[in-house]
Amino acid sequence: MFKVGVSQVGAVNVMTSDKGGLTNEQLADLAVDKIVSISDQAPPHIRQQAKAFREHLKKVLYHYLVLARKEERGSIIHILRSNGQKEMAEYIRRL
Amino acid sequence: MAIAQAMCTSFKKELLEGTHNFKNSGGGTFKLALYAEGSGGKSSTTATLGATTTAFTTTGEVASSGTYATGGGSLTRVDPTTSGTTAFTDFADLSFTTATITAMGALIYNSSASNKAVCVLDFSSNKSSTAGTFTIQFPTADASNAIIRIA
Repeated sequence: MFKVGVSQVGAVNVMTSDKGGLTNEQLADLAVDKIVSISDQAPPHIRQQAKAFREHLKKVLYHYLVLARKEERGSIIHILRSNGQKEMAEYIRRL
Repeated sequence: MAIAQAMCTSFKKELLEGTHNFKNSGGGTFKLALYAEGSGGKSSTTATLGATTTAFTTTGEVASSGTYATGGGSLTRVDPTTSGTTAFTDFADLSFTTATITAMGALIYNSSASNKAVCVLDFSSNKSSTAGTFTIQFPTADASNAIIRIA
């Protein structure tokens, strides 16, 4: 039989959390999975390099995710303090 | 297996009939509904999904929780494209927050075309969130990994 085409469905990645949102680590994993995919058919030395790049990228993303959350909290605290919500601002600062 | 990953056979036929449009601008409304095996679904029903699924079904769908409402979440379309001889399309990742969900798989369907089924996603194992976030990340949009590919 001559096959004209093959239709396929890709594999999704499911990430879940309990009692709150995803952690920085989970978000970094999601981002890295989206940016880097390593072919099983790539030569071993290429795969090794790609894995090393992937690990480095994850560390960088993790660092900036932590920073982004911290900075956002800082902005929220500023807004709350500016509106006289000092107690709530302090509560968020301690998170 | 009650939930088996597949591109629905009816969808392949409907593609040839021009039923589905995945373009970002002016395309149809595609939704992703979550399903459970065993007692995780509504009324303890078990989902049976696979290549023979032709349309959205409430049997085995997980109950509304947090930002997940029965019927599923709307997907953000990404314009179909090609790489080499493969055509593919993609969706933006989908998250349900403050949700208590246990799901074994999902169905993508076209809610602007009589809820016709597109494909079934098998998570391989139960995925659970408790008052948390349930995120579905779509694979890299390329000729080898994209969510919907025609080679």
